[in-house]
Amino acid sequence: MKLSFSAEDETFREEIASWLAVNLGGEFEQLRYRGGPGDEHMFAHERKVWEQAMAKGGWTCVGWPAEHGGRGLSIEQQVIFHEEYARAGGPGRVGHIGEGLAGPTIIAYGTDEQKKKYLPGILNGTELWCQGYSEPGAGSDLANVKTKAVLVEGRWRLSGQKVWTSLAHESDWCFVIARTDPESVRHKGLGFFLVRMDQPGVEVRPIEQLTGTSEFNEVFFEDAIAEDILGEPGEGWKIGMALLGFERGVSTLGQQMSFQNELNEIISIAKQNGAAQDATIRQRIAEAHMGLRLMRYNAMRMLSDNSGGAEDSAALVYKLHWASWHRNLGKLAMDVLGPDSELVESGPYNLSRLQSMYLFTRSDTIYGGTNQVQRNIIAERGLGMPKEQRPQ
Amino acid sequence: MNFTFSEDQILFRDSVREFLNNEVTAESLRARWDTPSGRCKELWAALAELGLTGMLVSEANGGLGMNEIDFVLLAEECGRAALPEPLVDTVLVATPVLQQAGKDDVLAAIATGQSAVAVQATEGALVADAEFSEYLILQENSAVYLVSSADATLELQESIDPGRRLYSVSWDASQANVLADGDRGVALQAKMFNLGALGAAAQLLGLSQRMIELSVNYTSERNQFGKPIGSFQAVKHHLANVAVKTEFAKAPVYRAAYSVAHNLSDAAQHVSHAKLAATEAATQAAKSGIQVHGAMGYTWEVDLQIFMKRAWALAGAWGSRGEHKARVASAVFGPERSLGAGQTFASAS
Repeated sequence: MKLSFSAEDETFREEIASWLAVNLGGEFEQLRYRGGPGDEHMFAHERKVWEQAMAKGGWTCVGWPAEHGGRGLSIEQQVIFHEEYARAGGPGRVGHIGEGLAGPTIIAYGTDEQKKKYLPGILNGTELWCQGYSEPGAGSDLANVKTKAVLVEGRWRLSGQKVWTSLAHESDWCFVIARTDPESVRHKGLGFFLVRMDQPGVEVRPIEQLTGTSEFNEVFFEDAIAEDILGEPGEGWKIGMALLGFERGVSTLGQQMSFQNELNEIISIAKQNGAAQDATIRQRIAEAHMGLRLMRYNAMRMLSDNSGGAEDSAALVYKLHWASWHRNLGKLAMDVLGPDSELVESGPYNLSRLQSMYLFTRSDTIYGGTNQVQRNIIAERGLGMPKEQRPQ
Repeated sequence: MNFTFSEDQILFRDSVREFLNNEVTAESLRARWDTPSGRCKELWAALAELGLTGMLVSEANGGLGMNEIDFVLLAEECGRAALPEPLVDTVLVATPVLQQAGKDDVLAAIATGQSAVAVQATEGALVADAEFSEYLILQENSAVYLVSSADATLELQESIDPGRRLYSVSWDASQANVLADGDRGVALQAKMFNLGALGAAAQLLGLSQRMIELSVNYTSERNQFGKPIGSFQAVKHHLANVAVKTEFAKAPVYRAAYSVAHNLSDAAQHVSHAKLAATEAATQAAKSGIQVHGAMGYTWEVDLQIFMKRAWALAGAWGSRGEHKARVASAVFGPERSLGAGQTFASAS
């Protein structure tokens, strides 16, 4: 156990910190601290331009191997990158689905040709991705996917509906799980497709959220052309689940850093408006602080475990912890604001960042696996408890 | 940066776990409840034989010269076993204090297994295992003393945990050996408190894991409606919640051990976090453990009680929840700090 950074790593810290100090200014100044959870609809275009500025500096896909155009940073330096990015108030990354999910999956399962075709757009920040997993009938029961893929004259064509597709309206590409074998059920007979969004067979309809804004969408495919299939027909479930494994890697660090910014804002409000004098508020803030530190420690444990085995149980409980923590933070923010928290300062329904955050965090314990599903997984896979009977 | 234990540390932990599994069975614990001392000299000698009593004693004094990080995993095992003997207090609390005070003879006696040392958490507090131990580390005002237990008057105070042996201690400070006083005494008291709270936290973590195991085993075997009750989500989710608390209590406990071993300035806050997280995990493991055991959980016969009572006792020892939470709160509301010093994942080298 060694909890310190090397001198070389600290030099790297200075490098990214000074790059951000110079570049996250001017036209990008307004983006600081924007575009995080609940605020993702803000400055979407400007954040894409920022993504491209990051790319020019070589700061996209920093954890990808150099041979695929990434920076090939060590885990330590990726940690530092995320810390400094958050410290500078770097905006929510519009390219994160491509960088964190699509890219690593293409690197792992794509052909050389596919890598050449798709990775540069992610690296350059010019092409954004969204994730086509959930369907009206396939939520927690994801294996119940009904979207069909049919091979017509050598091209896969998709028909069906996806839902809760974040940032679909901003995206150039979507990775889609669809059924390649119409006779198949559940995990078998699925394929993993890469689909261009700008085509006649794809329609995106925004879903209005509690916040009054629209970050996610319904996506309808009607004989839409899939540009590519990743892997073979029938491998869709395997690849789709491997992709979710990438999600819990270093990308969680960026999320934690934005949590830290939110907590700092709440603490600073509590100090200003006197809420910090209230013993119960003080305790809840102390609890929030500890809960966030837990996430960071556990990320450290997960990331510094190269064997991939010993710390698996920590990875298993991670989603349930952060989701519940963030939901509580939303409520804490409102309680710290007191009666003012109810008031919309500038209408119509133009919520403050913390108000949006409070409402948005109601969804944290649902998306990406509800708390109930997480508990089933922890109990069955982590604790080895008897399995519940499920359809075969 | 590396937040994992080495292969050697894990192997040592595993061998100690196996030893305690064999030597400290539930039956042997129950048998000892009915003996006056409640302790086993032979077991203490065996622990010394394994090098455990002298783990933190320097090699010059016959120990292994290891540190708090090496021992924290073993303190966890002591909790898992609900070990009655005062290994954690002797090794993790008394040894560093005696080392600082240069008490070579006592340290050598700890390493050979000849002496155990009991420690008082705060002035006037009851002292666990005072009778079993040859020496007591006691407090008065700003001073810390080393007292031979033969020179003190001990009175047993029965604990709700039949495995605990708590004593009120009457002694004469003017006749006692001063380890430190004044500012140095206060600093030593603070150090002792942090070490004691860390030891309690590590044991609570082990207790929590043991209670989960017992509960998982029971709910996997007990059938109702033709199925193991552990297959029902309502039962499963109780234990999943405990698993989350327990898994997430590990890191703060290990982090605190690191901070204590390296004398970092944030050590007190880290220790409080560890104690709070481990207490929450263990108390929830106890509460949910009883719930999923159904009526059996409320019986004297089921072993769950051994661990839940120890957990409740340790939850209150070495600082209450309120006390530890206040320490964290004052650190959070202290001088403004950015993500920089003390806020980054690791400390600068």
